[in-house]
Amino acid sequence: MRKVSLLLITLFFFFIMTACTTDGKEIDDQVYALILGLDKGVDNKIRLTIQYPTYKGGGGMQKSEGGGEDKKSGQIDNTVVTTIEASSILEGINLLNTVTSRRISLVHLKKVVFSEYIARQGIKNYLEPLARFREIRRITQIAVCRGSAEDFINENKTLIGESISKSMELMTSQSQNTGYFPKTPFETFYKGILSPYGQAYSTYVGINDFKHLKPLSEATAPLRTEYPILPGEIPRTGDLARETIGTAVFDGDRMVGSLNSYETRYFMMVSGGFEKGIFTLEDRSMPGSAIPFDVRLGRKPKVKVTFNNGVPIIDVNLNIEADIGAIQSRIPYEKLERIDELNDLIADIIQNGIKKTIEKTQKEWNTDIFSFGYQAAKHFFTIQEFEKYNWLRHYKEAKVNVSVQANVRRTGLMTESAPVRYSNQDVLSEEK
Amino acid sequence: MRKKKTLFQNLLSYITYKEKEPIKEFYIPEINEKESSQDQGNIPDHTNKGHERNRGIIKPVPVAEMRKEKTAGQNQASDNTVSTNIQQNMDYINQKFNAPDNKDIIIRQFTIAKRYKAFIAYLDGMVDRVTINHFILAALMENDDKFTNGDESCQLEFILLNVLQTNQAKKLDTPRDVIYEILSGNTVLYVDGCDYYLVNETKGYDKRGVETPQVEGVVLGSQEAFNETLRTNITLIRKYIKNSNLTTEFIRVGIENQQLCAVLSINGLTNPAIVDEVKRRIKSIKSDAILGDGMLEQFIEDNPFSLVPTMLTTERPDRTASHLLEGKVAILVEGAPFCKIVPISLVSLIHSPEDAFMRWPYGTLLRFVRVFAIAISTLLPGLYVALTKFHQEMVPTDLLIAIAKAKENVPFPTVVEVILMELSFELIREAGIRIPGIIGNTLGIIGALILGQAAVQANIVSPVLIIVVAVTGLGNFAIPNYSLALSVRLARFFFIFLGALLGFYGITIGLALIWVSLFNIKSFGVPYFSPVAPKTSRSADLFIRYPVWNQEYRPDYVNALRKKRQTKISRKWTQQNPENNYDREESDDEGR
Amino acid sequence: MMKEGNFGIREAVYLTILVLITKIFYTSIRVVVKTTGTASWYSTLISCVTSIVLFLLLYTLMKRFPGKDLVQIFDKVTGKIIGKILSLVFVLYFIYYAGSSLREFVEMIKAYNLPYTPPSLILAAFITVIVSLAYVGLEGISRFAVVSFYPIMVGILAILLLAVPYYNFNAIFPIGGYGISKTLSVGLLRSSAYTEVVILAFIINSIHGVKIFKKTGLISLGIAGIIISATILCSLMAFDYPQGGENVSDLFQLARIIYFNRFFQRIESIFLFIWIMASLVTVGATFYISLSIFCKAFNVEQHRPLILPFSFLTFMVALEPKSLTEVTQRNIAFVRTYSIFILYLIPIFVLLLAFILGKKGAETKHAKG
Repeated sequence: MRKVSLLLITLFFFFIMTACTTDGKEIDDQVYALILGLDKGVDNKIRLTIQYPTYKGGGGMQKSEGGGEDKKSGQIDNTVVTTIEASSILEGINLLNTVTSRRISLVHLKKVVFSEYIARQGIKNYLEPLARFREIRRITQIAVCRGSAEDFINENKTLIGESISKSMELMTSQSQNTGYFPKTPFETFYKGILSPYGQAYSTYVGINDFKHLKPLSEATAPLRTEYPILPGEIPRTGDLARETIGTAVFDGDRMVGSLNSYETRYFMMVSGGFEKGIFTLEDRSMPGSAIPFDVRLGRKPKVKVTFNNGVPIIDVNLNIEADIGAIQSRIPYEKLERIDELNDLIADIIQNGIKKTIEKTQKEWNTDIFSFGYQAAKHFFTIQEFEKYNWLRHYKEAKVNVSVQANVRRTGLMTESAPVRYSNQDVLSEEK
Repeated sequence: MRKKKTLFQNLLSYITYKEKEPIKEFYIPEINEKESSQDQGNIPDHTNKGHERNRGIIKPVPVAEMRKEKTAGQNQASDNTVSTNIQQNMDYINQKFNAPDNKDIIIRQFTIAKRYKAFIAYLDGMVDRVTINHFILAALMENDDKFTNGDESCQLEFILLNVLQTNQAKKLDTPRDVIYEILSGNTVLYVDGCDYYLVNETKGYDKRGVETPQVEGVVLGSQEAFNETLRTNITLIRKYIKNSNLTTEFIRVGIENQQLCAVLSINGLTNPAIVDEVKRRIKSIKSDAILGDGMLEQFIEDNPFSLVPTMLTTERPDRTASHLLEGKVAILVEGAPFCKIVPISLVSLIHSPEDAFMRWPYGTLLRFVRVFAIAISTLLPGLYVALTKFHQEMVPTDLLIAIAKAKENVPFPTVVEVILMELSFELIREAGIRIPGIIGNTLGIIGALILGQAAVQANIVSPVLIIVVAVTGLGNFAIPNYSLALSVRLARFFFIFLGALLGFYGITIGLALIWVSLFNIKSFGVPYFSPVAPKTSRSADLFIRYPVWNQEYRPDYVNALRKKRQTKISRKWTQQNPENNYDREESDDEGR
Repeated sequence: MMKEGNFGIREAVYLTILVLITKIFYTSIRVVVKTTGTASWYSTLISCVTSIVLFLLLYTLMKRFPGKDLVQIFDKVTGKIIGKILSLVFVLYFIYYAGSSLREFVEMIKAYNLPYTPPSLILAAFITVIVSLAYVGLEGISRFAVVSFYPIMVGILAILLLAVPYYNFNAIFPIGGYGISKTLSVGLLRSSAYTEVVILAFIINSIHGVKIFKKTGLISLGIAGIIISATILCSLMAFDYPQGGENVSDLFQLARIIYFNRFFQRIESIFLFIWIMASLVTVGATFYISLSIFCKAFNVEQHRPLILPFSFLTFMVALEPKSLTEVTQRNIAFVRTYSIFILYLIPIFVLLLAFILGKKGAETKHAKG
């Protein structure tokens, strides 16, 4: 009896020991793709680019001059970038294993980049495996790249530290500091594509060729506020060529257009994702001089949708708080009787901007990326009625009322600036 | 063919129905205070029977002795009767102790008042010479004038009352007990013509003094520990419990070595059923030798195959006292500096005597640290293996890549690394105990450091693993109970195995299995997980230690005769007005 | 009679709640969201209320025969042979339930966590625990439920709270779902998802009688209803109804999308723990109940020798379906949509019979009642 039990137990353990190794994989038996780029293939459906960190010690050893890249071997800053053409995403990754020597794991994928070309063709075929495959999680960021995704990934480097993954995570979190681009985890994006309440949108990225920064000249420059920038157009040099700014707008799974930096801010204000950002406004009393504000939402935006004779009316009610960053004209707007001038200035400009942005989405593309549909759905009792009405179709008919209240709360470290004294001017600081 | 059939039958026996005779389990009956005052000390029927039955068992006549009995039969002195002839009694003792081969037994003959032949017998080295020389021999041989009556009959009664100057002396008329007394270090006196002996307490063997605890050190709290002398140990406990109801009962265990074993309880507080059950189990042991409490534990514990200890081992008299006052039973064995306490539950193993001495927030914090320590030292290596083998997604990306970089040159799989390091750590611990003196402690730490460093440099293990193993080791040392710490060390390997096999799923399955096995364990009728499961009344001393004045009840599971420890308001002063208070009148101070 | 030991109301409630809510870890939410859309969160409350009403009917039956469990009542009302048959139906149902949940669990864990591990290994590990749970008996199961109850509840709460950034409360509109009639009919049928409470009727003597039976049943049904409804609501708010009906397990998907910052993300593996614990309690309890009913029906004194044969049966039920689709659309659909006809309607039929035949339990007060 005892011997038989022993035999059974041994057999059981033997079975376990031989069968167990299928799922367990050592950490260093795999490489962890951090970013996945998707382009239209030439010979096959998909051109797939991935980037994964190498396990070479310390760093320093492989660094070449400049951007530290060695295109031939695919080495960029302690990472490897490879591109392959394949019939589907998953098989492409499988195919890459033939050269990578280690299993490519997607569990740490941080970002999926679609080229604008395939985004405009429609990307539901690409999303399907991403949504279904267990290794890809829905917190992966989705971005659309102006130009090809392959180029973007080749420029995906870090100059500050050694960790690409950290720099990518922190890049995403810059959305909170600037409001220039929205965060779009796969979950939100995918929900937008399926949702009857609204449409999908995604981060817009691109590569800067550094040609937008013109050489220095003597001519006086105008003050250009609400500067409409799209990725690749920021006038700058230095740092890396990649940049993240703006929003790609989708109708269903097809990209239809894009919002520039300021439109993105207005869009995020209405949808509630805006945290803070510096707005530079032109001083009405002294054109040409600017007043930068640190702007944030005072409370969550209030959106209401009503129907008047079958015509939807969208009321957007915003409460904006701002801190003064500077008053270049040194006009004492902080005074109680003048503070409203600033409030009105901010409210006017933001109200206008929001109105225009919403109008743009209605007129140009008829895509409700603001998800006003959630409010509209309150007026329907059953899903059948709502789906029959099809909010997404009727979005363009909606009348939009935007009201913005702005409040300048704080003035920074100083208040009521003292005037600047010139040798040829008399300045009396005594108040009249 | 035949073998195959039996195999088949065996297999069949796994899946066919067999009725088994259930074994009756002990449980602690609830006894009301009123009832208990009526029949205090009355033991329930079934245990009573066991009592009676076992009485025959504790004093069996070993085969060796039976043979001797036959040869001794020629004399009148036998195992049961004391001869009235001094020579026969001397022969009996000599023969019992195998004199003259055995040089330890000393029989000193002399006459009292120049008339009465007498002898004392003792074991050399076990006795206190001063007592024998000055208070037995001198008293007997120098007080001739006291013997005035000239009577030829037995003088022992007279001697006991008038002559002997020892503090403990009693009559004994069974030679077997006499032998036992000699073995315990007492001196027996016999005077010709009597049919009994006098036993004088003269224990004087060398013993260790009361020292500081070695295993259960505390910062705040008493620094006394038990030593190897049963008497001293009981005294140490009595120092804490000045209560006439503290009862010590002695039971001899071990057929050959006749070790003395004491069962302590507080009469009128401890549930008598527990005391009886403890006594029943100890008395029923039929074994050659019980050398200490550790062996005794294995003979009387409920679940011999459980992973965790079901009795609390302590070397601290104050802790013993506190448990006795909760209504539990303490078992001490001569020659062991530890005390066993029953019944217990799992939580009492993670309590430290210090908890009660400190203010409650600190005590509570320490308890949580200990629970955390148990969790860490059981699970951490297993979790590490599971994480790195199955759940890489849970490791932060940068750390993951750092680990992968560090592992790049390590040829072993993670499991091998972990087991390698765990084993070396176990080696260091075990070696640290054996290495003599001062080097031992330092070598433990240095060895671990150097070994870890060297292993990393030699690319045998990855550096993160050193941290894992070190933290695990620390956690293990933070567990207050040594036996529990050992069981945790065992369980750790189980979890490493399961983690390597099935990841978190395996670990959860392992946890569930261990839980289930723990639910099935009882410590003298007390479910091991009480009072958590089964849920009994809320305990004020579980994980969160409530203030001492808030702990009104004794643990529910011991069913103590008095459930309440203190009144609802134990700090009576909070209801009284202090003599000097802020509300008094100005005039009150006049005349001071 | 077999001895099962006693336990308190708290243990009984914890056990019943766990058995009731384990389905939220599985495909249950998906099905409800798919069929009733935005009305799903209250459709399940309708199911819960229906189940409470049916439970009260069961209670009237139990009250008629104080001190007797359902098996004895079957015997008493319908006679020995039909009674035994009815008991056997329950035995088979609970085996089927245990096996199907087991298979559903295995399919889920394979989908989310161990895709390449042989299912028989996962099953074997699971059944080891189930067997040892059944071995220690009802008391052990109840204690296991108590110990795992708090971690499970904390875990569910943590998932629901940590996913807050994804919630949009307006996703519950249009409030009517696919229309009242659809919601009602699904809600009524779906009360099968709350039938597990019937196990209390079989262990009524372990929970100290009819009064505690009623109290336990109502409390656990109420709390389970709230928990299930809250989970559905949260999945609805996070995923909207189109995507909510698409996820295999909505609760697990919720755990997967938790993202707070660079450190606090990808933590769903921790929730594996509570998920497995809950499944162990559910399958262990139902498995034991089927054993227990069998023992009671045929006057077997000890259940332990029966564990292995019964575990083989469960194993077979678990291995029988060919795919995830077959498990969810046949086994689980049966259990969660039509089990009401077995678990509630048989006792209610017996109650009617008892009324008609005028059979009643002895009026003598049960010692513990």
